[in-house]
Amino acid sequence: MAANPKITEDRLGALREEAVRTGKVQDHGIVPVGGPFPKPASAMSYHGNPVLKPPTWTWQVPLYFFVGGVAGISALIALAAHLFGNAGLLRAGLWLGFAGALISAPLLIADLGRPARFLNMLRVFKLRSAMSVGAWTLAGFSSAVGLAVVCHELILAGYGNDFLVVVEWVAEISAAVSGLILASYTSVLLGVTAIPVWSENRKLVPVVFLGGGLGSAAAVLELLGFLVPVTQFIGIVASAVETLVAIIIELRGRYVDRPLREGAVGWLTRAGAALAGPASLLLRIFLGHSSMARYVAAVCFVIGALISRYAWIAAGRVSSRDPQALFRIQRPAPNAAAH
Amino acid sequence: MPISAFLTDASVCIGCKACEVACKEWNHIPEDGFEWCGQSYDNTHALGAATWRHVLFLEEKQPMGPQLAGIEEPFRWQFLSDVCKHCENAGCLEACPTGAIVRTEVGSVYVQPDVCNGCGYCVVSCPFGVVDKSHEVGTAFKCTFCYDRQRDGLMPACAKACPTQSIRFGELEELRREAQVRIKELQDRGYNDAQIYDPTGSSVGGTHAMFVILGEPEAYNLPPAPEVPTIHLKSAWGAALLSALVVVLVVCLAFAL
Amino acid sequence: MPGLGTSFGRGGATLGPSDLVNSDAILIMGSNMAENHPVGFQWVIEARERGTKVIHVDPRFSRTSAMADIWAPLRAGSDILFLGGLIHYVLENEKDFREYVIHYTNASIILPEEFKDTEDLGGVFSGWDAKNGSYDGSTWLYGACVQAGRVAPRSAGPHSGQCKDGTGAAADLRDCECDPTLSHPRCVYQVLKRHYARYTPELVERFCGVPRERFLKIAETFCTASGPEKTGVICYALGWTQQSKGPQIIRAAAILQLLLGNVGRPGGGILALRGHASIQGSTDIPTLYDILPGYLPMPNLGLDSKNLADYVATHRDPTGWWWNFDKYIVSLLKAYYGDGAKKENDWGFNWLPRVTGDHSHQGYFLEMLDGKVEGLFVMGQNPAVAGPNSRLERKALSKLKWLVVRDMVELETASFWYDSPEVERGELRPEEIATEVFLLPAAGHAEKDGCFTNTQRLLQWHQKAVDPPGDARSETWFMYHLGRRLKEKAKQDPRPRNAGLSALTWDYSLGGTMQEPKVEEVLQEINGYAVADHTLVSGFNELKADGSTACGCWIYSGVFPRPGENRANQRNSRDLWGHGWGFAWPSDRRILYNRASARPDGRPWSERKKLVWWDEQNKEWTGLDVPDFTRTKAPNYQPPKHAQGDEALAGDKPFILHPDGMGWIFAPKGLADGPLPTHYEGLEAPVGNPLYPDQQSNPAAMRDERPENRFASSPDDRFPCVMSTYRLTEHHTSGAMSRMLPHLAELQPEFFCEISPELASERGIENGGWVTVMTPRGIVEARALVTRRMRPLLIDGKMVHQVGVPFHWGYRGLVKGDSANDLVAISEEPNVRIMEAKGILCDVSPGRRAQGKAALDQWNAHLGRK
Repeated sequence: MAANPKITEDRLGALREEAVRTGKVQDHGIVPVGGPFPKPASAMSYHGNPVLKPPTWTWQVPLYFFVGGVAGISALIALAAHLFGNAGLLRAGLWLGFAGALISAPLLIADLGRPARFLNMLRVFKLRSAMSVGAWTLAGFSSAVGLAVVCHELILAGYGNDFLVVVEWVAEISAAVSGLILASYTSVLLGVTAIPVWSENRKLVPVVFLGGGLGSAAAVLELLGFLVPVTQFIGIVASAVETLVAIIIELRGRYVDRPLREGAVGWLTRAGAALAGPASLLLRIFLGHSSMARYVAAVCFVIGALISRYAWIAAGRVSSRDPQALFRIQRPAPNAAAH
Repeated sequence: MPISAFLTDASVCIGCKACEVACKEWNHIPEDGFEWCGQSYDNTHALGAATWRHVLFLEEKQPMGPQLAGIEEPFRWQFLSDVCKHCENAGCLEACPTGAIVRTEVGSVYVQPDVCNGCGYCVVSCPFGVVDKSHEVGTAFKCTFCYDRQRDGLMPACAKACPTQSIRFGELEELRREAQVRIKELQDRGYNDAQIYDPTGSSVGGTHAMFVILGEPEAYNLPPAPEVPTIHLKSAWGAALLSALVVVLVVCLAFAL
Repeated sequence: MPGLGTSFGRGGATLGPSDLVNSDAILIMGSNMAENHPVGFQWVIEARERGTKVIHVDPRFSRTSAMADIWAPLRAGSDILFLGGLIHYVLENEKDFREYVIHYTNASIILPEEFKDTEDLGGVFSGWDAKNGSYDGSTWLYGACVQAGRVAPRSAGPHSGQCKDGTGAAADLRDCECDPTLSHPRCVYQVLKRHYARYTPELVERFCGVPRERFLKIAETFCTASGPEKTGVICYALGWTQQSKGPQIIRAAAILQLLLGNVGRPGGGILALRGHASIQGSTDIPTLYDILPGYLPMPNLGLDSKNLADYVATHRDPTGWWWNFDKYIVSLLKAYYGDGAKKENDWGFNWLPRVTGDHSHQGYFLEMLDGKVEGLFVMGQNPAVAGPNSRLERKALSKLKWLVVRDMVELETASFWYDSPEVERGELRPEEIATEVFLLPAAGHAEKDGCFTNTQRLLQWHQKAVDPPGDARSETWFMYHLGRRLKEKAKQDPRPRNAGLSALTWDYSLGGTMQEPKVEEVLQEINGYAVADHTLVSGFNELKADGSTACGCWIYSGVFPRPGENRANQRNSRDLWGHGWGFAWPSDRRILYNRASARPDGRPWSERKKLVWWDEQNKEWTGLDVPDFTRTKAPNYQPPKHAQGDEALAGDKPFILHPDGMGWIFAPKGLADGPLPTHYEGLEAPVGNPLYPDQQSNPAAMRDERPENRFASSPDDRFPCVMSTYRLTEHHTSGAMSRMLPHLAELQPEFFCEISPELASERGIENGGWVTVMTPRGIVEARALVTRRMRPLLIDGKMVHQVGVPFHWGYRGLVKGDSANDLVAISEEPNVRIMEAKGILCDVSPGRRAQGKAALDQWNAHLGRK
C-alpha cells in the first residue's frame, strides 16, 4: 500500500466525487488512525472442516490430572499438619502423596506414543513448556514426597536423628511446593494451547483444578477415616468453589464454552460440577454432623472431580472440531455472510 | 545459511495434487485413508501425521478477478496447497517437552523422529492444526521442509513437482518481496480480494510458508489472527499462582480454625 | 488425426506446449488440459500471466475452466455448431487474414458444378450412397480436375486406413481453376460462407447452450488474435475425438485457424493433446491395423493390394511430398525383410497383411463376442474397464480360446473370469469359461530402455534404471523372443504362409542376464541405414526406392544420424521450442508448416511473429526453427510444367504433404464423411438436428447395433440426461496404474458422478449420497458430487441436464468401483473408428443400484419403460 497520503477534507471530497463519477476509487484509500480494522467474521470455513487437531490423549491423562491433584495437595496438607502438629494427618498426607506419585508416572508413561522413550522428557527443561515443567515437577515431587515418607517412617520407627528431621522438613516443604505446582500446572497445560475452550478459560481452569485437587485430597483423607473439622472446612470451601465456577460457565453463555454446556460433553460437565459442587456442598452444610453424609459427600466430590477432568478433555476435543470457535475468538461478532 | 521459505500462490494452482504425491513418495509417508466425502475434489481432508501437503478446493459464488465464468451469478473454483507454516514463533516447538522439535539452520521447524516420545502436546499447541501424532508409529509428524533434500542443495519435493510454480521455494525475505509484487500485480489485474497470508503482525511473528490467497483466510480454514499459545503463559501461570496462594490460605485456615 | 491430416498434411499437433507462450489467445475445447496435461498446462499459465487470453468451452467447469479467462458451457456433442458459429463470425465480419488465406489455403479454388453441399441436399453432400452407407467423393475434387476427367481417388474401401495422417488416396490436383478475389460463387470461400450461413450466434445459443453474449465475447477475443502481429492456438483432446464426428470437429477448428492465418506460426496452429505418454508413438509406429509405420496405409485386399506398383499408384500423389511414397514403402520393406526383400518379389510386399474388414478394437471385439477370434494379446491395456461397452467386452473375452495379458498387476482384463460383475450377476460362470488366461509380469518404464513419442511429436529416450523384478520383462524382450521362437518353429514348416515370418529380419544384439534386445539398435533401424554397409542415414531425404536403403519409420528418420548420436537422448535444450532436447519428427521441426510464418515473398509477417524466413544472401530458408520446407526453394519459385513431387509445389506453398501445397479449408479427399464439417447430432441426442431434420447424425458413422449394444432414440424419455465420460488428474485411464497405488488411490478413492444442483433437487439426490446411472448398455452406481460446476442448459427451450462420469474404476485394486464404460456403446466414427463417449444419453436416479443379478432386473425394467 502507498504511504498514507495527507488526510484532508479536500481529499475525502475528491474520493467521494470519484466514486460517484466512476463507481470505484482508484487509489487504495486512507488508513484511518487505529486501522486496519478487523473485518467482521462470516460464517464461512473450509467445508465446515475442523481447523485444529483434537487432543490425542487417552483415558490415562484425565485420571492423572486427578491423581496428581490429590497427591500434590496431600503433600501440602501434610506440611500444614506438621506445622500445626497434627501427626495423623501428617502421616496420611505423606503416604497419600507418595501413593499418588507412584500411580502418576505409569499413567503418564502409558499415554505416550512411545512409552519406552519416557526419559526423553528429562533431556531438556523448558520453562515455557507446561508439559516440560510438569514432567520435571512430577519427578521432583515424587522424589521429595518419597524422601519425606522414608524419613518420616524411619523417625517413627525409631531411627530418627536431627539430620533426618531436617531432611524430612526439607523434603516436606519441597513436596508441598512441588505438589502445588503438580496440582496446578495441568491447568496451565490446557490453557496454553490453541484449543479455544481451553485457552479462553485459562484463568478459570486453575481454579477448577486446584479446587478439585484440594477438595479431592480432603475427601480421600475423609474416606481414609479423617472425619475431622480440617477436612470438613476444606470440603465446604472446595465444593463452594466448584459451584461458583459452574454458575459462571452457565451464565457467561459464551460461544466458545458451548462444549461445556451443550451435547453429551455438556451433560458430562454438568454431572461432574453437580457432584463436586452443590451435591457435596449441601450434604456438608446441612448434614455435616452425619458421618455417612460426609462419606457420601466425599465420594460425590471425588467422582465429580474425576468426571470433570474427563469433561474438560472431552470439551477440548469438541472445541477443536468447531472452526467457528476458533474464528470467533480472532474476529469479532459473526454475521451470516454466505460462503 | 539463508532462511528457506515457501510462497504458495492460489492464483496459479491447478489443483493437480502433484505436491501431495511427491511429498508422500519422497518421505515414504503411508496412505492416509481411502475415504471419499464429496468435498469438491478434496479427499485428503486436512494436514496430519500422514499428509504434509494438502490441496484445498474452494467452489465459491465470487468472481476470480476479471474471469468470465459464472453465468447468472459469479462463480469460481480455486485451489491452494496447504502446508506446515514453519512459524517464526512456533507453538509446537515451544510446547515440546523432549526437545524433539527444533529450529534448523534453514529456519524450518523440524520434528526429530527418534527423540519424540509421542506426548501429544505439540498437537494441541499448533494454532494451524498441522502437526499430529501417528497412531501406527506413536510419534508426531509434519512437514520436514524436506530438510534432507535442502541439506543436499535440492529444493523440497513439492516445489520441484509443482508444474505451474504455484509453490515457490526460496529465501524468506526475497519471497516476501516477491509476494508483495505479486499481490500488487494481481490487484492491478482485477483480483480485488488477493492478499498475502503471512501473519507477521501476530505473536506467530510471520510464517516461513506464505500464501497468496483470494478471499478471506477463513475460507481456507486459515486462522485470521493466529497466536502462538505461549502468549498466554503469563496469564495462565498468574491465575495458577493466585489460586495456589488461595489454596495455601484455605489449608492454613482449615487447621487454624 | 485425419482431421489434421486432411487440413494440413500431417495428422499430428502442429506445435508443442511450450510454444503456447507465444499465443495471444488460446482456445481450449474438447479438452481438460489442466486436468490431463498438468505439466504441459504450465505453458498456458505462463502465457496467461503474460497477457494471453485463455478461453475454455466445455460441458463442465473443470480444473481448466478454473484457470481460464473466459469459460462457456457447451452441450456435449454440439462442438461443430459452436466452431461453425466462429467460422460464420469470421466470414460475416471479414476477420480472416486475407493475404494468408489467398496464398496459403485453397479458399480460392473453384469447385465443380457437380458438387452439392449439405445445404443443398438437406444434410448430405453429393455422392452419398445410402445403400452402402458411404460416399463417392469424385464430385469433391477441384473443379478443373473433374472437368479434365481425372479419376476420383481410388477409394480403398470403407475399412481402409486412408493414410490416417494424410490425405487419402492419391489424386492429381494440378492446374486447378481458382479465383484470388474469392468472389466466384463456386470458390471454396463462397461455398464455405453458404455452408455456415445458418450458424448464427442465436443458433449457437439455442442449440449449444452458450449465452449469446458469452459466445460473441469468445469470438471477438479469439478472432482478433490473428493477422501479421498476432496468433491464436486451439487445443483439443478426447472431448472432440470421442464423438461420431470427431475428425470433422477437428476440421472445423482447422478451417478456423486457416482463415485466421494461424497455422505454421509461433503461438498458432492446433495442439492436439494426445492422451498417453507415448500414444503419438503408438500411431507413428502403429499398433493400429490399418496403417504401417510413418502413416503408410496397410494394403487392403483387392483394392490396392495386387502388387507393389498398384499400391504405390493408389497412394502416391504426383505432386507434393507424398511423391516420395515409394521410397518409404520400399525402405520399410527392406527393414522388415532384409535380404529377403528383392525387386523380384516386390520387396516382400505380398508378405504384408491385408485388411479384409473391420479389424479395429471394436470390430474384433464384436467378432470375439461371436466366437470368431481364437486368441488375444493384451499388453498395457485394460479393455475390461476401458473398452466401450465394457460389459460386452468382458463377455467377449470369455469366448476366446486363449488370452495373454502382460501387465504389472493382475488387472480386470486378467481376472474377468472370476471377478467381474458378469460373474457376480450370473451372466458368466467361471466353470463354463473355456478361455485359458496367461498372466505375465511386465516391466515398468524405469526397468527398460526405450523411447516415448509424446503429443508434440517429440521422441524422448528413457534409460533403464533398475532391472525388472523376478520374471517381469519388457515388451521388447517379450516380442523379440516370441518372434524368435515362432521363427524357429517356422523353419520346420516351409509352407508359403511362413515365408514372410521367416524372411523377417530379427537380429538385434542381446545383452544382460535377461538376454534383452538392444533397443538402440531398434531405434537405429527405425532411423534407417544404407543396406550395403549399414551406414546410418541422416534423414528421409536419403531414402531410396531401389532397395538400397532400409528405414523402419520414415518420419523418424534423422533421430539417429550417426553411431552414438541418439538425438532422442539429447538433453541440452537451447531455446523455447526445445531444440537440443529430444527429436521432434519430422527432422526436428518443432512447428509444422512453418513456411507459413513468412510472407509469400519470404519475409516474416512481423518481427514479433518471425519464425523462419528466406535468407536472400545464402539462398536458403533459415530462422529459429528447422524449416518445414525444402531449404533451397526460393519463395518466388514457380514449378515447371510437368514437375513432380515437391518440385511441383511453388515457393509459397507451405503445406508440402498436400498435392497442391495448400492448407485445405475444403478437403477434396481423405475423409469418409465429407469435405466440410457439418453439424450432426450424436448417435444419441436430446434434440433433433436443428439444421437437417432429415439427417439426424453423421450418416457415415457406424452403430454396430445388436442386442448387447443398444442405442437410445433421440430424444428418449427413458434417458433424458446427457453424459460424457472423462478423466481425472489423480487417476490414469482404466485405473490399473493408479487404483493399485496407495498414494494415487487415496486422492480419488471412489467412483463419483458430477451432477448439477438443479438435477439433484429434481431427483432428490444429496451431495455425498449415491446415484444409479443407466444407459441402454448398462447400469452403474456412483457417489453423487453435486456441484455448481455442472449446469443444465436451455436447449431449444428445453432444460437439458448434463452429468459427468469419470471412467477410472474397476473391480480390482485398492479402491474399486463400477466401470463407466459399461454405459458407453460400441460405435465407430467412419474415419478412425473411435467410439462416441461424449454426449450420450443416460438416466440418473438416487440410491445405489441393486446388487448381483438384481441389477440386471432393475436395468431391464428401466429399459422396458415407455
